[in-house]
Amino acid sequence: MKQSILLLLLLTAACSRGPKMVNEVVAVAAAKLPTLPADSAWDAAPEHLAALLPQDLVEPRLATPSTPQIRVRSLTNGSEIAIRLEWEDASKSETPGPSKMVDACAIQIPEKMEKDLPEPQMGQEGKRVQVTYWRADWQATVDGRGDTIRDLYPNAAIDHYPFEAKPLEKGSDAQREMALRYSPARALGNIRSGPRAAPVEDLIATGPGTLSPGPSLGAAGKGVFAAKGWTVVIARKLPEGLSPNQRTSIAFAVWQGSQQESGARKMRSGWIPLVRRNQ
Amino acid sequence: MARVNNWQIGREMSYWYPEARPKKQFAAVFDTNKCIACQTCTLACKTTWTSGKGQEYMLWNNVETKPYGSYPLAYDLKLLDMLNGQAWNGNKYEGQTLFESAPAGERVLGWRPEQQDYAYPNVGEDDCANQVDHGAFLSLPHMNWFFYLARICNHCTYPACLASCPRGSIYKRPEDGIVLVDQNRCRGYQECVKGCPYKKVFFNPLTNTSEKCIACFPKVEQGIQPQCFVNCIGKIRMAGFLNKPEEARADNPIDYLVHIKKVALPLFPQFGLEPNVYYIPPIHAPASFNRQLFGPGAAEAMKIYRNAANDPDLAGLLCLFGSTEKMVTRFRRQGDLVTAVGDGGADLVRVPMHETVHIRPAIDPMNQLVRINIP
Ligand code: SF4
Ligand code: SF4
Repeated sequence: MKQSILLLLLLTAACSRGPKMVNEVVAVAAAKLPTLPADSAWDAAPEHLAALLPQDLVEPRLATPSTPQIRVRSLTNGSEIAIRLEWEDASKSETPGPSKMVDACAIQIPEKMEKDLPEPQMGQEGKRVQVTYWRADWQATVDGRGDTIRDLYPNAAIDHYPFEAKPLEKGSDAQREMALRYSPARALGNIRSGPRAAPVEDLIATGPGTLSPGPSLGAAGKGVFAAKGWTVVIARKLPEGLSPNQRTSIAFAVWQGSQQESGARKMRSGWIPLVRRNQ
Repeated sequence: MARVNNWQIGREMSYWYPEARPKKQFAAVFDTNKCIACQTCTLACKTTWTSGKGQEYMLWNNVETKPYGSYPLAYDLKLLDMLNGQAWNGNKYEGQTLFESAPAGERVLGWRPEQQDYAYPNVGEDDCANQVDHGAFLSLPHMNWFFYLARICNHCTYPACLASCPRGSIYKRPEDGIVLVDQNRCRGYQECVKGCPYKKVFFNPLTNTSEKCIACFPKVEQGIQPQCFVNCIGKIRMAGFLNKPEEARADNPIDYLVHIKKVALPLFPQFGLEPNVYYIPPIHAPASFNRQLFGPGAAEAMKIYRNAANDPDLAGLLCLFGSTEKMVTRFRRQGDLVTAVGDGGADLVRVPMHETVHIRPAIDPMNQLVRINIP
């Protein structure tokens, strides 16, 4: 008798503490969308546990599976949707460099709400997918890390930058223009080439290898690393046509820098239903 | 994978894309026998292209002392090890190229250097291959050896960097075969860094893109040789365009050295990329070492080069190295005079094969003084 009371007590405690689990991603209505991963507003959203698989459909594939699953919650204010992703990661990888990949995650949603879903692997010709992508090194930049080699390698020895020599004035247009000559990606406006104002980017794809900058969906985000791993909030415009109680689909991808994951070498999910609820 | 023809290994091979040779192929010949490792080429490139933030460690051009020097560290030995000693049968490579030996799930057999591998731009600089015993003195032939290997991107016919990129961000220009990373399309996955066996693509951590030698294409487009060529103190380099072996022209300098004389050889042809920088092997290094680097033609090439004094066309053409900043697309020799001809057919420069030498006697008879040489 004593034992069963104890069991009952334990069970109630577990239920009240643990999140409500659901087998699809449920975007719950919220007056205001939280921007921080630790906001208590997330408690209102049920949790979905999404299993991840290694990307093994196109070369280069991910040979060794890493992140097995992510925990997902979602909230919507009727015009935007916020998704919180949590995954375990033993090491924080936020410094890019030769053979140094960075932690990252992404959500993928079909551009159009159609019965026939696009290929879960980056969409397909005629059926575009919208990807919102977050990266740990961009987060570090947004959180205040500087844009010099010494910010990445504190002991770096630098001989000379021609654009930092006299007679060019510090901070002058002439100096900026000359520095750009040695930074072709920035000169061309490659959105990945920083320095970043946001840790996320809006992308569009029609199949593997086609990822490119997409029309702005107002992507925003914030990632925080703690002992267990990453918790990242990604927000963007609500998928077009997603009225209350309607369904679209969502897919996830996670990259662990410490496992040399980048680009096609990633853990990813298939399509998971995404439903909008009023409460 | 497609089947393509690679003349450097004497057979067809598998490649990620079908054969698509450019209209013209940018190519170069480096005479290793003349390089003095002054690194002027390295600096010429560095100041022109890689003085920016995030490019600090990059050397699109580097010069390494062989046998030990390698940048990044052991780039060559690691791959040779991975290929595990495969065989040539005459001029046909019977082993597997990097494309053919790609493990499941990969596009190319490769490895990615760690950051510390870039910390030794020329390990073993000026170190010779063996211990020099106490009491040894200089004798000929040298009991020991080393030589300098200058390296840039090979603007390969079958680039592994290009094949490795899952986004198609790397392209080979149809007009001149120069291989470029589209800096707008690149997303910094570093697959090309892993794929290129010569390790001539570098990741820029501040722009999150991979960057590589561009063969100074703005100069090449104007018929001028790249920076590392025109600044070469040893005059070891000549840039031009290479035809397929069956279309070789005897008056095209690169065709002549590569296809006709076969005195200039590709670096690690067994990798299967058909690299387009060709080396005249160092004649004082062992033929076995040259064979490992430059393939089965090495011993013969050494012989031909040694005999250059009796081969006026070859000797004449070698005199044109470093004689003009223009790209030399044709050459001709009349007696002792060699002429470099440019793209438009105009003569660029005429060089005598022998220059008149005046030797002053050590004693000045008029003043009865010993002359002192003042540099
Ligand atoms: S040498 Fe390397 S970087 Fe250059 S074209 Fe060949 S594979 Fe690409
Ligand atoms: S400039 Fe010429 S001689 Fe000097 S290191 Fe470079 S290739 Fe060799």
